[in-house]
Amino acid sequence: MAAHAKSAKPELRRSVTPWGSFSWGYSDVGADIFVGLGLVLAWAAGASNVAFLFAGVVYVCIGLAYTELAATYPVAGGGQYFVMRGLGDFFGFIAGWAVLLDFTIDVTLFAWSSVDYMSQLIPALVNSVHPWLHFSVVLGLVLGLCLLNVIGVRESTAFNGVVSALDVISETLILCFGFLFAFRPHLLIHAMQFNWPTPYALMLGTSLAIVSFVGLESISQAAQETQRPASVIPRTSIALILTILIFALAYSNLALGLQPWHPITDAAGHTMQFWQIFPNNADNQGKAVALLAEQVPFWGAIAALYVPVLGAVLLLISSNSGVFGSSRIAYAMSTSNLLPSIFQRVHPKFRTPVISIVFFSTVAVIELLFAAGPGLYRALAGPYAHFFRGENGLEFLADLYAFGAATSYSFVFLGLIGLRLTDPLSPRKFKIPLNIPMHFRGERVDFPVIAIIGFIGIFSILIFTLFTHPLGRVFGPTWLLLGLIIYLVYRRHRRLPILGSQRRDWRTVQIDILRRSGELELMDEYLANLKASEQRQAARA
Amino acid sequence: MLALRAVLAVLIILCGIFILAEMLRSRGAGFAILPGVVLAGAMIALGAHRISLILRVRRGNR
Repeated sequence: MAAHAKSAKPELRRSVTPWGSFSWGYSDVGADIFVGLGLVLAWAAGASNVAFLFAGVVYVCIGLAYTELAATYPVAGGGQYFVMRGLGDFFGFIAGWAVLLDFTIDVTLFAWSSVDYMSQLIPALVNSVHPWLHFSVVLGLVLGLCLLNVIGVRESTAFNGVVSALDVISETLILCFGFLFAFRPHLLIHAMQFNWPTPYALMLGTSLAIVSFVGLESISQAAQETQRPASVIPRTSIALILTILIFALAYSNLALGLQPWHPITDAAGHTMQFWQIFPNNADNQGKAVALLAEQVPFWGAIAALYVPVLGAVLLLISSNSGVFGSSRIAYAMSTSNLLPSIFQRVHPKFRTPVISIVFFSTVAVIELLFAAGPGLYRALAGPYAHFFRGENGLEFLADLYAFGAATSYSFVFLGLIGLRLTDPLSPRKFKIPLNIPMHFRGERVDFPVIAIIGFIGIFSILIFTLFTHPLGRVFGPTWLLLGLIIYLVYRRHRRLPILGSQRRDWRTVQIDILRRSGELELMDEYLANLKASEQRQAARA
Repeated sequence: MLALRAVLAVLIILCGIFILAEMLRSRGAGFAILPGVVLAGAMIALGAHRISLILRVRRGNR
């Protein structure tokens, strides 16, 4: 971000390699399974793998959409930029504001879960035992990350790469040992046949499963700093999408069919299946991968020691990406006149967007207070149980995370369709498969069928979220309403159209984007497309 | 390094084929095998994707 501040025309250095691009995305999305697995097992029970499957299919569609968009428009704005270009300023703002909600939740949720993983080795940090200590450590982490981002320290791509590589190796080993020595297909089938959840619990579980696939904004953020993004992004994104999907499906299947290495019993001494330790146990939900790892034969003896540490570090990196990402998105929205210019203000000494960082970190702290409230003050547990079905802190954060993701991704699909129709001339080195060729305003366009399927999928997850998450139902729309008020006041103040869009010359912008990204062949192709289009129009006239 | 990557990619495909075969063997369980089948399909796709990248790099080196 410092680069943004140093010149009037900020430009990020393109130094991210293919592996760097992969690890950037992995350190963001790969951490999600550490949080999502326990929550989904708690609600979707015997259908957890089906919940992950449904969310995973939607995620693949989202991933393909982001891959196409990030390779075609390699700028750091992410979802809000694509939506703004495809649907206009107003919808671009809504998508961006929903992403900002996700980034602030990202900070709190992942810091919270990071402490949960630490509690596996340091029992004093268990939330239900010492809620104030747990809260204090999470708060300390959030404030610490805020401070680090204000002074401009950010984890390096190399550090991300090392942690990602370690995590991929570790998760692969856990899954290999698990499937080889502890997986019993009959347990999986038994769990699916006899512990199938109610439709309500399945919807809730599915909406929580999307939590395991959030963070694809990182693909587009990496695009602006990747060498030859149109070539590199599709390659790394597809590998990233498939890797995350495989881990999520493999973990959920393994968890349901796992024969625990050490027998698990309930209070009455009855033997339990592994997945049964998650319902009604928030402490376990927060550290599911560590619990699974220690129940894997042989490797579990080692994994029990390092997986909590690795999980905590990966989650902390993801938490940091929330602080960093929110300030970057707010900066991008502000430069597009979607947010007040105060979000562009940089610290005179550290050259970082201090207002954005402090503002969104404060939002993260408020979310933490809501999440930790019932644990800290028993008097609050009653109202929470009455109004919000007694959701725990982790579920509250996951609710909002799912709401923000489903909202922004829904608009990204619409933005993709909009861009296919309104900007058919931009060269697309990667295009989502399954398209219907048609003509629109005199140009040949490819209508993306996958975007429709993905939109239906993610919109149904949004409906599930609103239907099954009492807290998400209240706080999610409240966040959007608050944002719309800010947007309305700001746009009126600047005398800019509120529902319409500011005039922009997207063709010049696109040429500039391709030139800056080093995609000169694509720039030539784009210029040739423009010329051919003008000739066609002249011929028609 | 490319050879190691190619071996890993082939291993991923073999794992996917193994899981697919296991799932199809217990197809009496009906719907319950679907997540496993998709998992196997994703592994085969990832392996194939990696091999296609390796081939592209090799073609580029020539």
